[in-house]
Amino acid sequence: MGSIALTSAPARRARLAGPLLLLAAMLVVALVVAGTFGAARVSWSAAFAGDPTARAVLFHIRLPRALLAALVGATLAVAGATFQTLLRNPLADPFILGVSGGAAAGAAVSTALGLAGIPGLVPLVAFVGACGATAAVFLLARRREYTDPTRLLLSGLVLNALFSAVILIAFALSRESDLTAALRWMMGTLFGATWSDVILLASLFVITTVVLITIANDLRMLTFGEDDAKSRGVDVERVKRIGFATASIVTGAAVAVSGIIGFVGLLVPHLIRLVWHRDFRFLLPLSALGGATLLVLADTVSRVILPSAELPVGAFTAILGVPFFLSLLRRGR
Amino acid sequence: MTLEVRSVSFAYDGTSALREVSAAFEATQLVALTGPNGSGKSTLLKLIARVFAPLSGEILFDGRRLREWPAREYARHVGYLPQDPDPAFPMRAIDVVVSGRAPFLGRFAWERDADYDEAERALELCDAAYLASRYLDEMSGGERKRVFLARVLAGRPRLILLDEPLASLDVSHVQQFSRLLRDIVQRTGATVLYATHDLNWAAAYCDRMLVMQQGTLAIDGAPDQVMRPDVIARYFGFQAEAVNAGGRDWLVPRV
Repeated sequence: MGSIALTSAPARRARLAGPLLLLAAMLVVALVVAGTFGAARVSWSAAFAGDPTARAVLFHIRLPRALLAALVGATLAVAGATFQTLLRNPLADPFILGVSGGAAAGAAVSTALGLAGIPGLVPLVAFVGACGATAAVFLLARRREYTDPTRLLLSGLVLNALFSAVILIAFALSRESDLTAALRWMMGTLFGATWSDVILLASLFVITTVVLITIANDLRMLTFGEDDAKSRGVDVERVKRIGFATASIVTGAAVAVSGIIGFVGLLVPHLIRLVWHRDFRFLLPLSALGGATLLVLADTVSRVILPSAELPVGAFTAILGVPFFLSLLRRGR
Repeated sequence: MTLEVRSVSFAYDGTSALREVSAAFEATQLVALTGPNGSGKSTLLKLIARVFAPLSGEILFDGRRLREWPAREYARHVGYLPQDPDPAFPMRAIDVVVSGRAPFLGRFAWERDADYDEAERALELCDAAYLASRYLDEMSGGERKRVFLARVLAGRPRLILLDEPLASLDVSHVQQFSRLLRDIVQRTGATVLYATHDLNWAAAYCDRMLVMQQGTLAIDGAPDQVMRPDVIARYFGFQAEAVNAGGRDWLVPRV
């Protein structure tokens, strides 16, 4: 925490600039690494000199893929940070709340109906599934104007069980030829990322972030409990509605373009909190950068670690994250 | 500061919790809110803190109806401490306390130096300045209570509502905390309304005691009106004897 002045008085407002620059630098490095390594041997200098192969590989395959990885990682981490703050629960993330499960169930059902061949349909249905799941979880947990965080988590858990059943049944009824693509999507992959995916997710991510910034000051007050926040003039139900809706919609979009990539939403806000111990206003930008960096690196490793095959990136987010997480957990609070 | 509670009623999901409660409060008073469990103490505090709105009746602060006060503006005058404040994530005391300045911040603003000055002043007032950079989970129960009281004081409220601040404190901390409340009333001119089960401690330090019973306000008066064996038996279902010491009556359980 080099950015905080070492004075005898306790550190006051922590400077956001230091951690922000550090994580931004890490993201830039990760993006360069992602562009540099891959199955084809191409160099940045060749691409900039006009070599068509190098340009195609770097600018049409690796760069959009790396940027999409960054956006998906940032989105999942921001959604995780938002859900955790909203529900006052460090275990909340888009997966536990059923958002990703709804997306997966939507994708699986459209595959079973033989619709997987229609371009763009599976992501669209996945997006609808994610939003539907969110609405269902929220309505199930709602009683008389009030949304109980524990009921919200439990509703998510129960709906996830239902979604698993739907997915299994859908797969049992699917044609074998359709299954490979569906399975690949379920494992989470950034393969075949396009610039239009990048632009779509980037615009949604920017909107989400702006909305979350407008409620950040209120959202962080929920840390002390809803009664406390209400007594301090926070319109708690409004903050919950806005936070939950924006985080879910952007998660739905991320899941639609990348499939199911677990652990980022849970892990990244945790890591940021373990290192910096600050409130949501800190967590929001730092989680975005941290999530982006983590997923870019995980995706790069999943592409290059085996010469013959690409491995599911979701597995690597876990493999990279778990040891780091455990060591931090052992070290302190 | 004036606070007027006018025949206020409230129910949780159809279960009545408060019935026709009326009371008025002025500045610079230490008021203990007593009564058995479930008598409506917490509910009354929550209605005044605007956690809930009354089902009927009304509450006026400085002569203005609560629902006419903009929520954040009201929060600058009234500080509320729930019974078991527990931040979901680890925090340092200074960050906990400075978050009490939230009603004064703009939508996108961060706390300024002046807010930290207020937070440090509040910690000092609670004899908790030494805790500033410690984390809540490294503190004793008494220290945490003082940090959370400081958080309420950081907004310089004129009305302070505390829900069982003495619960789970050992005797020396109860005494320390009771003195602290007395001190805060004297030094800031605020009125403190706090729920408590410690009748003797309340009587020793308060200007006034309220006794709640099954959602109604049974007694509102000076401590000596409450500290009588017949009153205690009737409203608390507790057999006690009055023992005079130091010129006032204390209640001792009848064994």
